[in-house]
Amino acid sequence: MSDANLDPKTAFPVPVADADTQPFWDGVARGELLIQRCGSCGAWLWQPRPICPRGQTPGPTWTRVSGDGRVASWVVMRPPTLPAYADKVPFVVLLVELDEGVRLLGYLVDGDGAMLETDGAAEGVAIGRRVAVRYHDQGGTRLPSFTLV
Amino acid sequence: MAAPLRVAKHRQACVVGIHALPFSKNIGMTERHSGGLAILGALADAGLTVRDLDGMFRYVWEGTTEMEMARILGVPNLRAFGEVDYGGGAGCPTVTHAALAIENHLADVVVTWRARNRGSGVRPWSQQYMATGQDQFERPYHVARPVDGMAFHTRVWIEKYGWTPEVLGRVAVTQREHARKNPAAMMQKPLTMDDYLAARMICDPLRLFDCCLETDGALAMVLTSAERARDLGVTPVYVHGFAMGSGPQMTAMTFFYDEVLGKTPNAWVAPELWKRTGLTPRDIDVCQFYDAFTPQIPIAFEEFGFCAEGESPAYMADGKNPPYNTSGGGISEAYVHGFNLLVEGVRQVRGTSTSQAENVRNVLVTSGNVVPTGALVYSKDPW
Ligand SMILES: [Zn+2]
Repeated sequence: MSDANLDPKTAFPVPVADADTQPFWDGVARGELLIQRCGSCGAWLWQPRPICPRGQTPGPTWTRVSGDGRVASWVVMRPPTLPAYADKVPFVVLLVELDEGVRLLGYLVDGDGAMLETDGAAEGVAIGRRVAVRYHDQGGTRLPSFTLV
Repeated sequence: MAAPLRVAKHRQACVVGIHALPFSKNIGMTERHSGGLAILGALADAGLTVRDLDGMFRYVWEGTTEMEMARILGVPNLRAFGEVDYGGGAGCPTVTHAALAIENHLADVVVTWRARNRGSGVRPWSQQYMATGQDQFERPYHVARPVDGMAFHTRVWIEKYGWTPEVLGRVAVTQREHARKNPAAMMQKPLTMDDYLAARMICDPLRLFDCCLETDGALAMVLTSAERARDLGVTPVYVHGFAMGSGPQMTAMTFFYDEVLGKTPNAWVAPELWKRTGLTPRDIDVCQFYDAFTPQIPIAFEEFGFCAEGESPAYMADGKNPPYNTSGGGISEAYVHGFNLLVEGVRQVRGTSTSQAENVRNVLVTSGNVVPTGALVYSKDPW
């Protein structure tokens, strides 16, 4: 599928998996958050990769994690956005540090995975707040996201 | 038997020609056209012609290859050429490659340039819906605009060091003051701190005036050897030294997934630069810090060691810093992937800036630092 097949007025950006990342997205589709862990040194690795950068051991193991963590940074998206987001602003995107130590991005969502139209003030979003993973459906694509706990 | 040239003594490179076309929202010509004119202007500034030109280096993101530009201009033969990747990170590294080509006798007259129709053209981030590679974990969350990645970094500094909005507002106001003295700058309206604070958020914590301009622009510079420069009757601006760096676990614009949070690649570039040049921050009279966004200025003062980590707000509020981004920079002069900073650094050594600092001996220039990047020092005196 090329960019040309998407209508930019309504389309959201779509993750395009490759052989190194497909297990992550397959896990997300099942409602499981999988993070790679090196079988040699035990390091948790993000983003997905074929070789552990600590000791150069190939083939880290996809390992299910709880999806619990804390806010490491956060932003509030405002216009100009991609057109599909025009009726969603303002919304918050979190950089979450999982309890395993790696950091990944996700929307701020409610307990059911729905995006919140907020600047984060009412929810008290701040670095250090505890979060838990939820799954947000974005135009048919499931995306790991986080709710404050 | 003579020593082979490849082990001949290194010779110093210097900038002998600069040129910028007028900045605008719509330059009305292709990038290969404006880039070609910028190169011809820089050659004329140096008293050289296309017949003298034998090297070209460019950003990977520059739309016209060296091959095509050489063909357009009629360069007889390129003895040295190459490209450097990573958007605005490529500025100083491109000049570094040009200087290395001269130092090592690969070429004698080398041009670098950047022509970009980013004012009239599309926003690249608005066209990319199929997110591959690192983007697949970012773009589907609308972490797509350059400002989005920078905003995550900025939040860390804000919360860690208690930055107020005025820390960034001071940068925007200062650079606008410089721009208003520079007739070539796109932004000529006054900007007060109140104006800054009242402007809308783009990606909170970053406001409108934290962001660089969207510019059609074309600039070029010509470098040659110190010996050749003596025959040209121009004031040579010596390339004193340079360094590049990526840091560990780099991802473009989102350098915060792994061990690093709260640093930019300049934390690796800076010690390398000081080691290679033998200089310290105290030797620097003017800075041209890469400024796609205002937070890059206080962070640069810290990471290059002008002040300690966390102390840039007080350091800058007290006016202890050297002048920076004296043309108005990417925030208020023009945003052409930092090439205007490279050109303004040359003007400061020549003594021809519209916000000229006094007794300039050394100028520090940096490049985009949420991607692999580099920095260099121009000097008034040769090695
Ligand atoms: Zn390992």
